[in-house]
Amino acid sequence: MIARAGLPIAAYLATLVALALAAAFVAVVAIVLWLPPRPPDVMRADVVSDYFTAGYDHVTATGRTINDEMDWSIRRTAPGEKGVPRAVMSTQHQLAGRLRLHPDQVRITAAKITRSDVMVFRVRDAEAEAHARHAEIAAREAAREAEREMQQAAREAAREMREVAREARERRREAERNLRDAQRENDLGAIEIHREAIRAAEEAAAEAAREAAEAMRSVEVRVIAPPAPTPPTPGAAATPPEPPEPPEAPLFAPAPVGVLLISGFEIAAQLPDGRWLVMQQGRNWAEIGWIWRTVFIIAAALAVVSLISLLIARRLTRPIRNFSEAVQAVGVNPQNEPVREEGPAELRGAARAVNTMQARLRALIADRTKTLAAVAHDMRTPLMRLRLQAEHVAPEQREKMAREIEEVEALVASFIAFARDDPAEEARVRLDLAALLQSVADDHCEAGRDVAYAGEERVIITGQSLGLKRVFTNLVDNALKYGQRARVALRREEGAVIVDVEDDGPGIPAAQRETVFEPFVRLNEAGTRGAGLGLAAARSIARAHGGDIAILDAEKGAKLRVTLPG
Amino acid sequence: MAEPLSQPRVLIVDDDPEIRNGLADVFARAGFAPLVAGDVPAMERTLEKEAVDLIVLDLMMPGEDGLSACKRLSGARRAPIIMLSALGDDADRIVGLEIGADDYLAKPCNPRELVARARAVLRRAKDKGEDAPSGDSVRFAGFRLDVARRELHDPDGVVIPLSAGEFRLLRAFVEHPRRVLSREQLLDYAFANDSEIFDRAVDVQVSRLRRKLERPGAPEIVRTVRGEGYMFDVKPT
Repeated sequence: MIARAGLPIAAYLATLVALALAAAFVAVVAIVLWLPPRPPDVMRADVVSDYFTAGYDHVTATGRTINDEMDWSIRRTAPGEKGVPRAVMSTQHQLAGRLRLHPDQVRITAAKITRSDVMVFRVRDAEAEAHARHAEIAAREAAREAEREMQQAAREAAREMREVAREARERRREAERNLRDAQRENDLGAIEIHREAIRAAEEAAAEAAREAAEAMRSVEVRVIAPPAPTPPTPGAAATPPEPPEPPEAPLFAPAPVGVLLISGFEIAAQLPDGRWLVMQQGRNWAEIGWIWRTVFIIAAALAVVSLISLLIARRLTRPIRNFSEAVQAVGVNPQNEPVREEGPAELRGAARAVNTMQARLRALIADRTKTLAAVAHDMRTPLMRLRLQAEHVAPEQREKMAREIEEVEALVASFIAFARDDPAEEARVRLDLAALLQSVADDHCEAGRDVAYAGEERVIITGQSLGLKRVFTNLVDNALKYGQRARVALRREEGAVIVDVEDDGPGIPAAQRETVFEPFVRLNEAGTRGAGLGLAAARSIARAHGGDIAILDAEKGAKLRVTLPG
Repeated sequence: MAEPLSQPRVLIVDDDPEIRNGLADVFARAGFAPLVAGDVPAMERTLEKEAVDLIVLDLMMPGEDGLSACKRLSGARRAPIIMLSALGDDADRIVGLEIGADDYLAKPCNPRELVARARAVLRRAKDKGEDAPSGDSVRFAGFRLDVARRELHDPDGVVIPLSAGEFRLLRAFVEHPRRVLSREQLLDYAFANDSEIFDRAVDVQVSRLRRKLERPGAPEIVRTVRGEGYMFDVKPT
């Protein structure tokens, strides 16, 4: 029963609005919960100095810029104007001191500079990062120091070995000199001794050269090899690393009063080679991710809401569409099925109203049919009695009476046919209009009247076979009422079929060519039979078929033209 | 016209005593043995007692009307029914024939036409060929003859209206398939009530009917048997 009750349209709309609001709420919650906190857009000047110092050391040590959330670049010329805002002058001097540079070699600009009495975001993170950075820099420093010492030692060793080699060469030259002297003096024993000395000296020199080369190679190998990664905890390699300080620092904390807060800054310092290292608070990749996620959440919320709205709208409009179709069907034929009561409450109410109306309409039609049947019965029963009584009178009078009775019967029949006339009731079929006209003419011929059909053999149209038969029977009857003979002609034209019914009677005056189609209008009041309903009924049926009947000029008699869509 | 054997028994059912008795009088003078009933229960009582060859049934009567009585009767093997009604519209006629009446006349009718129709119905009931199909729809060679609506549906489903004469002629052919029917027989079957029809008229009607039945490439349905008459040369179902 609840399912049958149906919600009012307002409830559907309210649901939609509530849904949209809920989606917006969910989106906001999702944004707050799921998105990473936005990176700081205001930073402490001292923390920024730490960043820069670390970056500067990195560049001087490796020749490459550090990769962190700042934008780093190296330029040939000093960036920006020379002047430094007064507020950051002390920072400038401090930084210059830390970098062992002249203050003129350090430039600081910032879009916004404030003295702290505001909250600083993510104090803990910023300080921890600064610590970590310092540790890293120190470790790298230590590694570099060790390397330098090692190179020094290697060079020392090489130099010593070269010394040894030189001494050995010295000794060899001396030995050669002695050998030459000995040869001159022909002292064979001395020659042998000196040769021995030369050989020893050569060997010593070769040994020293080899060792010097060895020392140099070891240094080169060391220089080429990348520096070993150093543990993040500096200094304390031997002692177990102290655990990092527990996060007693709050996530948000007021900055110490007097600390400088800057944003949109750019810091530059001259490198030893004269170029400038520039650090900017640039585009923040985290922030771009933030934007993407926000867009995604909102798009997802929109998609969900539109999908559900579409479903609700379909649910809402399908019964309305069905309703309008059903109402149209009932309008065409009250005997059609009642409208289904479904959909929103308002529509169900309307459907109920239409169904009540349809029921009353049907009752009215049933009443009318019953009334017509009663009228037909009450009028025709006495006629039948009369007709039977006529059997008992003399033959010539009997014929006369029969004609009179037939005439009254024709009147009754035309009244009833006109009153019950309902062109929509009969089904439409494809039918051969030529055969229909031929059969109307044949029926009259069989009854001894002069009706002829001329025209095409087979013309198929869509229509009501009884209705169309009545149209042409009425027209031919009408023609025979005023004339002696009727001629029916059929031809096809573009998109239409045309039937002309002509008689040889007196014709219809132009002034009366419209009024004869009105009910109960007869052309010639005196001496004509019929109720004046035949043409009215014929025209209403022709019009229900999308055609019409018109009266045309004729040389003689009347010419009625029926046009039907072909 | 072949004279019926003995006196056929006709039961006239009408609530109006004057019409009832007047019709009985007409039928008696035409050589029938009339019985009368004033309403449907009386009719049923008579039918239980007597064998009846034909029923003339009024449509509108107090109590149960003729339509529902006809519907009930047509289930069993029963005497043919001519419906006599104050409702004379085509639509009413079709309803009456579809419900099982063998013929339908509108009041007021010519009493002699009623008698003629009664004879025709009796004759049809008697010498309906053994092959004759029953029911209100007959099919042959792709065509369908709707007996109640007096309409012919061609193989394409197009309605081909028939004149009254063509319909009677076609029905006579369909009820006597594959038999040579002489012009006299056709006159008898199809034009029983109209003495002015001559042999020549039969030929005219047959040629008209042929034109409506002929389809290019299809074999002839109504054949001329030289010197004897016509034959309907397909088997209807």
